[in-house]
Amino acid sequence: MSSRRIVITSGKGGVGKTTTTANLGATLASRGKRVCLVDADIGLRNLDLVLGLEKRIVFDLVEVVEGRCQLRQALIKDKRFGELLAILPAAQTRDKTAVSETQFATVIDNLAEMFDYVFIDCPAGIEHGFRNAIAGAREAIVVTTPEVSAIRDADRVIGKLNEKGLPIRMIVNRIRPDMVRNGDMLSVDDVCEILSIELLGIVPDDEDVIDTTNRGEPLVLSPDSRLAAIYEKIARRLEGEIVPFTTLAAPSFLSRLLGRKAG
Amino acid sequence: MHELRDEVPAAAPAAVKRGRAIVVTSGKGGVGKTTTTANVGAALGATGATVALVDADVGLRNLDIVLGLESRVRFHVLDVLEGKAELDDALVSDKRVPTMKLLAASQTREKDDVDTQAFRALIESLRERFDYVLIDCPAGIETGFQNAIVAADEAIIVCTPEVSAVRDADRVVGLLGDRQSIRLIVNRVRPALVRRGKMLSVDDVNAILRLPLLGVIADEPGVIISTNKGEPLALDAASTTGDAYRKIAARIAGTDTSAPEIPRESTFLEKLFGGRR
Repeated sequence: MSSRRIVITSGKGGVGKTTTTANLGATLASRGKRVCLVDADIGLRNLDLVLGLEKRIVFDLVEVVEGRCQLRQALIKDKRFGELLAILPAAQTRDKTAVSETQFATVIDNLAEMFDYVFIDCPAGIEHGFRNAIAGAREAIVVTTPEVSAIRDADRVIGKLNEKGLPIRMIVNRIRPDMVRNGDMLSVDDVCEILSIELLGIVPDDEDVIDTTNRGEPLVLSPDSRLAAIYEKIARRLEGEIVPFTTLAAPSFLSRLLGRKAG
Repeated sequence: MHELRDEVPAAAPAAVKRGRAIVVTSGKGGVGKTTTTANVGAALGATGATVALVDADVGLRNLDIVLGLESRVRFHVLDVLEGKAELDDALVSDKRVPTMKLLAASQTREKDDVDTQAFRALIESLRERFDYVLIDCPAGIETGFQNAIVAADEAIIVCTPEVSAVRDADRVVGLLGDRQSIRLIVNRVRPALVRRGKMLSVDDVNAILRLPLLGVIADEPGVIISTNKGEPLALDAASTTGDAYRKIAARIAGTDTSAPEIPRESTFLEKLFGGRR
């Protein structure tokens, strides 16, 4: 059985790579898949925080590469998901050149033998850390937001992924339907037209995200969150199901009233 | 001869201007470095100070977009460093703020292409001509970060009220070492969420970072709109966020010594009647 090795990347920082990695991984684990999340952001790791696992880190990716511990020893199992979800944390006090592309790819190969899905949480930018993160991947998910700067950076990254021949799909994150309607934000269609890659998901801007990531709780654990249902759909698409895109819920009269601009 | 020498005072070097080089950095991406650089730069320039804004994000430049100057960029940092263009030809003017210039980053090159010492010399030469040189740092702590901080002796840390942003900012403060000044802007604060205990407060953020607070900026749709349009809010006299940026500029210049305010939330009625901007 061949497992999936997917890098989650964006170019621009702060568009939601780590949040997407954590939530998509947790959703797939809750659907019975064996999932490993690899934090490739050596020196600025955050995936452990977003999942609330920061206190359980003993070893990290760099120590695995340097042979100071076994790969299995460095994996942190998330008990909320049985034995199905694990993370491989990045080192916080080292820099990205501590690991080569070949070494990184070897770690991903080894993880692929143990898990159904290996997600690689890429650092921002297109420097050494980015090259490491894509080295072991066979597919890519580009996360972008409907902002001109994020789209320009995504376009640059898509070019780099194309050079490597990786299949690419896109998640448009932090859409605010009221702003799109007012013409103050690019729509998903606009983003798709500019970047012309396959759409994997649309995630609205939701204040729950700030709170749950600060508390280290993946959204799938709050089943009444509207975002939990959205990540579920993205996970099903990733598994090959054809799940239609629903337009984001029409806002209530009140929110339309509040969303209206002056003038 | 000796007497003569004693009578002639040693030739005093012509007074060389030395503006302030300030790097805007964060560690984490997407917290608002570029928006901060553009707005603080525009606010400083609007007071008549001369300002150079330098985009250090080679390969992923965005400062030109946020300033609405992308169609006017002809040459970039690497062209200047490699002698393919004169500095004056690479500096893009902004009609709205005649004393402000942009030096764009190269979009199709890599950060490793930048020679750190040449970049430092470039910033030094800008300091001889401008009162302020603001350097927009890329995300991360790799080569691009090292280049961006090398010539700056002051730093502005931009941080959002998120645990991950605070952790990254803390790491960057450590890497900045003993600069003359490291000050903090807390960006994208939503007072209503803070009140409901769903967001870290400014105090929570600074309990960890312990930096002098330069300003607090609210999360409001106007920021996204203005960056997409390329019109810095600092130039919008009616914008409360613009006002917050103008105050930050005044604190940098030393003309405002008041403590930063926490942004006030629009009331329900103000929102209803469109008073939010």
